[in-house]
Amino acid sequence: MTDQADQSRRNFLYVAAGGMGAVAAGATVVPFIGSMFPAADTLAAAKTEFDVATVEAGQLVVIQWQGKPVFIVNRTEEYLKQVDGHDEMLKDKNSTHIEAVRADWITPENLKYRSIKPEYLIVVASCTHLGCIPLFKPTAGRKEWGESVPENWPGGWHCPCHGSLYDISARVINGSPAPDNLHLMPYTYKTETQVVIG
Amino acid sequence: MKLKQILMATTAAVSLLASGAVMANEGHGPALKHAEINVTDQTQIQRGLTVFTDVCMGCHSAKYITYKGLIDYPEIGITREQADELRGSHPLAAGMISDLNPEDAKVSYGKVPPDLSIITNARRGGANYVYSLLTGFEHDPSGKVTDGNFNEYFPGNRIAMPDPLSWLGHDASETEELEQQAEDVAAFLAFIADPHQNERRVIGCWVVGFLLLLTLVLWRLKVEVWKDVKH
Amino acid sequence: MLEKMMKTRLFAWVDERTGAEAIIKSQLTEYPVPKNLNYMWNFGSLALLVLVLQILTGIFLAMYYKPSAALTMGGYTVAFDSVERIMRDVNFGWLIRYMHAVGASAFFVVVYMHIGRGLYYGSYKGPRELLWIIGVVILLIMQGAAFFGYLLPWGQMSFWGATVITNLFGALPVLGEYLQQLLRGGFAVGDPTLNRFFSLHYLFPLLLVAIVGGHVHALHVVHSNNPEGIDVHGDDQKINFHPYYTVKDAFGVGIFLTIYCYVIFFNPQMGGYFIEVDNYVPANNLQTPPHIAPVWYLTPWYTILRSFESKLLGVLMMGGSLAILFLLPFLDRSKVRSARYRPVFKQMVLLFFVCVIVLGYCGHSAPTPTLKLVGQIATAYYFLFFFALLILPKFEKTKPVPDHI
Repeated sequence: MTDQADQSRRNFLYVAAGGMGAVAAGATVVPFIGSMFPAADTLAAAKTEFDVATVEAGQLVVIQWQGKPVFIVNRTEEYLKQVDGHDEMLKDKNSTHIEAVRADWITPENLKYRSIKPEYLIVVASCTHLGCIPLFKPTAGRKEWGESVPENWPGGWHCPCHGSLYDISARVINGSPAPDNLHLMPYTYKTETQVVIG
Repeated sequence: MKLKQILMATTAAVSLLASGAVMANEGHGPALKHAEINVTDQTQIQRGLTVFTDVCMGCHSAKYITYKGLIDYPEIGITREQADELRGSHPLAAGMISDLNPEDAKVSYGKVPPDLSIITNARRGGANYVYSLLTGFEHDPSGKVTDGNFNEYFPGNRIAMPDPLSWLGHDASETEELEQQAEDVAAFLAFIADPHQNERRVIGCWVVGFLLLLTLVLWRLKVEVWKDVKH
Repeated sequence: MLEKMMKTRLFAWVDERTGAEAIIKSQLTEYPVPKNLNYMWNFGSLALLVLVLQILTGIFLAMYYKPSAALTMGGYTVAFDSVERIMRDVNFGWLIRYMHAVGASAFFVVVYMHIGRGLYYGSYKGPRELLWIIGVVILLIMQGAAFFGYLLPWGQMSFWGATVITNLFGALPVLGEYLQQLLRGGFAVGDPTLNRFFSLHYLFPLLLVAIVGGHVHALHVVHSNNPEGIDVHGDDQKINFHPYYTVKDAFGVGIFLTIYCYVIFFNPQMGGYFIEVDNYVPANNLQTPPHIAPVWYLTPWYTILRSFESKLLGVLMMGGSLAILFLLPFLDRSKVRSARYRPVFKQMVLLFFVCVIVLGYCGHSAPTPTLKLVGQIATAYYFLFFFALLILPKFEKTKPVPDHI
């Protein structure tokens, strides 16, 4: 049928065709998989502006940032005092577990407040366990919240899905299924009260 | 990079010529004037953008092009500061929307001016049509249509858009400048109609080149394997 | 490579549970094919390739496309905006959409060549009647899928094309009006129509996959025809599909992909033939574009429709022109298959191809009295061709047919 030279040429052509075919198929995958990543307009909407002055003292609002819920809390003097005094209850009082959740503006002074301006706490509102939105239960003790919070409740958040607890700086409390504190994100103050998130 | 630019410019020119040639045969009115446009030429596209924002945007929008797009598409590539100046209080992610209210436009002009984002795809002749139209305002030979509403390239000649570049009755010394403005804005519109077109043509050169090679290999393989078959 | 793979233990494991080896042998490595097939036989595998490409690109487009006629700024709609978003903001969205739009036309180019080959070489004749009939069903479903898909961008051509075609059904007596409302989901083409067309546009390709499976199965029962149109006996006249026709089909795929990609990357609108100029104008139910015509691959049938004064007759004849394809194997009773040995049939079938192209041209152009007459003559020949086949064997003197290839 074919001699030695023919056979080796044929094998070469098979390999070349197969190899180039594989390259072509591989290159075709790129645009298809690429198309499933966030589109340009989605990426362009990655920043959110918000005026924190619109949040009244002691109140919490939920806004959207990159499609995720974000808590903005205006903490009163009383709430700010609740930040101290329960360090032994916290899983990660200095928020060191995940590098990414440590925003670059954190200093030793604001570490326990977890915010640029102590009164305005801005955190991603998804429980680090499985992503539910925790309920805001800011006052200390069980008076207002009953059995849903422990006896020595320092005030903070309670996640209704699986019972995770966070203090008033959104740091996770021992015994919660959630592994980490509520996530921070990069943000800056454009003006005195206008904050740019993302 | 150099090679890529040459590739971009030549392929853009060839395919525009090709599509222009096909479309030219389709028109029913007078033959369109040929616009010298280059959709890879940043300076021309930026000049066109200026014409667009200064003149066209008084009435027309380009809602599919955002102010951010003006910065991000390298073919337009204006700076953040220039974009901020153009957008005023509009967000960066907003489309280029005219301040003219559609209801007011209907009262003033009888119809809502069309959005220009994809206008060169939506009109036979594309950029040539835009260029011809802008430089096609004439006195109506029959005198029926008022000056400024008679255009020799518009189907039916009676156009609602009043001579945006003040072409009618312009000074002979201005001809060149006005033609240049019309060409520049045609280039800008041709670019934004399909903002990935240059990228597409560059990738296309690689893809088609690769496929030619692959086809050559497959052809030799076919010939080789079919040597077994005796006829 | 295939042989090596079939010797592995993994393959043996799979084979025990599926009988894969027997299938591969009977359908591929030991599937006998006449050795004299020419390049016209490449279009079947190409059609399969394009079907796969259309489904693949379609799935990814559906991740971003939104079938809604709700109005947005500037007279556009959610659907139109979502298409433009795919073209501008989605990563490689422009590529996937052009692949899909050009692919639709490519599909018809390939399938029309495939059908033309079947006509010319008599592949529709016994014992392949059912194979042909399944093929005609595929053609009809393709045309349906293409029609549904063309509405989705919600441009002027989309809207008015759908309006015209759904109006056709209204011409039918008694049931017409109900059928029309059933298709539109309203009194005119609108949001409900768009929604259901999207659903059906997703469904039809799945039907195609199933029916194409039947088409290939039917082929593998009766085996390929060949350019001589004779039954092939004897092992020396047949070769195995693999590797001979796999490499030949692969070569065809190479040529096809080169042309396909050239169009996608350098001329995706094809001067308004593949994506029409008016479809870049958002749908406006108060203004018809000055000249509307279906996309090129539907224009022959559109001309047949326009050739009759009576609306009902036009609709029936258009339907008839497709339905008559089902009857072809039974109209033509000649014992000889290939046009190579049928001198009169050869002239007739070549003229038929010209006639379909003329019909296509007439349907694409704005109607003028001359073109209308040309269209009517072409329409007359279209039907004459089929009925002439009924009596042709009585007087056609066929050439002697060889006994082997």
